[in-house]
Amino acid sequence: MKKILKRITRRHFLTGSAAALATVSIVPRHVLGAPEVSPSDTVGGALIGVGGRGPGTYGEMVKSFQGAGMAVKKLAECDVRWVGRADNKTTYTDFRRVLERKDIDVVAIATPPHWHALISIAAMEAGKDVLCEKPMTRFIAEGRAMVEAAQRYGRVFQIGTFGRFSASRDGKNVLTRKIMRSGLLKPCEAVVIKSGGLKVKEWSGLVNAKPQPVPANLDWDMYVGPSPMKPYHPHRVGGTHRGYWDYEGGGLCDMGQHYLDPFTWTWGKDDTAPVEIEPHAPPAHPEACGMWGWVELKYADGFTLVFDSGEWGKPYDRRKSRGVSLNDLGEEDRKKIAAMPDPEPLLTFGEAVKARKPAGGNADVAHRTVTILHLANIAIRVGRKIRFDPAKEVIVGDEEANRLVSLPMRAPWHL
Amino acid sequence: MAAKKPNVAALVEQMPETDNDIKARQEEAKAQAQPDAPDKPKPKADRLGAASKFTGPDPAAAEKVFAEILSGGRESVTELLGLVREPGDADYKNYKASYVLHGVVLLAGRTGRETERKLVGDALAAQLGGGKHSKAVKGFFIRELRVLGDKAAVKALGAQLLDEDLCGDATQALLTIGDGAAAEFRRALDKAQERNRVTILHALGTLRDGESAAALRKAFGEEQGDAHRTAAWALANIGDAASADALIKAADSAEVWERTEATRNCLLLAERLAVLGRHLEAKRVYTHLRDTRTASNERPFREAAEKALGTLPR
Repeated sequence: MKKILKRITRRHFLTGSAAALATVSIVPRHVLGAPEVSPSDTVGGALIGVGGRGPGTYGEMVKSFQGAGMAVKKLAECDVRWVGRADNKTTYTDFRRVLERKDIDVVAIATPPHWHALISIAAMEAGKDVLCEKPMTRFIAEGRAMVEAAQRYGRVFQIGTFGRFSASRDGKNVLTRKIMRSGLLKPCEAVVIKSGGLKVKEWSGLVNAKPQPVPANLDWDMYVGPSPMKPYHPHRVGGTHRGYWDYEGGGLCDMGQHYLDPFTWTWGKDDTAPVEIEPHAPPAHPEACGMWGWVELKYADGFTLVFDSGEWGKPYDRRKSRGVSLNDLGEEDRKKIAAMPDPEPLLTFGEAVKARKPAGGNADVAHRTVTILHLANIAIRVGRKIRFDPAKEVIVGDEEANRLVSLPMRAPWHL
Repeated sequence: MAAKKPNVAALVEQMPETDNDIKARQEEAKAQAQPDAPDKPKPKADRLGAASKFTGPDPAAAEKVFAEILSGGRESVTELLGLVREPGDADYKNYKASYVLHGVVLLAGRTGRETERKLVGDALAAQLGGGKHSKAVKGFFIRELRVLGDKAAVKALGAQLLDEDLCGDATQALLTIGDGAAAEFRRALDKAQERNRVTILHALGTLRDGESAAALRKAFGEEQGDAHRTAAWALANIGDAASADALIKAADSAEVWERTEATRNCLLLAERLAVLGRHLEAKRVYTHLRDTRTASNERPFREAAEKALGTLPR
């Protein structure tokens, strides 16, 4: 990591930004709270979606920049619950008014997930780098659009979960990754079972909630955004939104990306997806995320991942957990593994912004990670085994299930 | 001997109660078993029918229920549709009928069940006309058509596009079905007002319907607000070369966020033109963006245009 930092002198993308420099250079150092950081290494930041995880997400962003020898000055916050309260100077209800500010360089996005893709893409179009809370998306096609936007606009994207950073510093995980990435296991018989901890009941939706009047301080149309318009109910906002397919994917999506972020790195699954997904669950409710037992996800190489909720039905008992080791390989193959170089160190968001290089939890890997969760949820929602093509990102041979890969957006919003 | 007609209402009631209702009944049973205990009023949230969560039936038992209703044919499916109420309806009872309908839809929509799929799709589409159901229930039926509907449902869905409450759901269903949808949107566009109009302009852009380019150009040129902005995006997404000058002019004269949005439309237009093989027109738009987006905050557009120019055939 140090080696990389030495090569970096200062942020590249601020060099052409006279306006941004002028704005940040008038900020006294003591206000920044980081006297050792020069104004030219201070970026303007904004938080979009201030409830729930908002302050935590923003705090992670600040820490990340501090770790890279930089500082962030918060210039704006935005929330759709601030109708009548926003001043459009430092507090906003419309994220677009935040993104149009030239003095903002980085944004932390902590809205409910149905907004993540649109705001992230809009931020990248406006020249901002993005730290986006997990789960990255509401459906698979959104993730692909985010990956393309990050590439097209050359912006840095980091997902708001960081397990892969510590995983990548663990020698055992590095060895597992090398074995898996080598492709020498044919077939791979490893099985990883994630048991419990997925908050299935906690983040289920209500199935009989009567519509209620929209509070005066909430812009409900903006909150709903690209999702289908539904009558307001307080359970649809403020954390419990996780229980509705319109906004998130239940406890699985809420907790899953945390769990899978180190998983996909360790098991070398950052550039692919499961090909066969089988659920054990009751038929899902059409609007509310609900109970499920387990989901078995198989990759093309034979590797198996299982989510076992421990909250519904019989526990998963088809297979036992099984890791990989050098003992699974012959002598010649072990030599090949020994000769493999260690993976490149992962860059934090701050380091990546400074270096203008992809962050460790960049859009590509975050998209592949959240795709696993979406596939599990699609299988739960249709109540049957599905098959996925990781290259084309479509569900094969099941039109009904494939309709959940890409959902139409409510006007005027579009990817 | 004719098959026995399923008792749809009884089948629906086989679905399990919500978590709160189960708890409330247990409390009631406990109270009855202890008649001498002091009678404390229950918190509202713990009473029967309070907003609560789904517990989930046994999958095999649920599928049996869905299959039995399907076996009753159109008559049983229509009977089930008649039981559906949404929580806002005055006579709403519980979640069970709409849940069972969704289960029937999922079962009928499975690959290889074309006859059942058509049966359910036709039954749902037939309920969209008339005043038998509340708007909320019709919206639910439309969302179920998004799950399994096909071309046969397009006309019935298109008929909802001028309804302020149903246009959004109908549009999503039509966009998902795709086949035959554009004609319905084109037909509705002239009469559609305000939000519905924006929704339809947006849908035509999403479908990349070249036949509606003239109408979209008119909306872009003559309308304001969301209709103007949505028409601009739709023309770009279609790859309408005839709109290139107007889209560039709009982007160049816009400010703040609107400039970002309009510039993105130009980039999108160029990308679509390139894919359509209209390289000279694409090159013209890309070149303009490369040469004019010189401000630091517009660097992503400049660089994207520059990169794209390098990929076009010389």
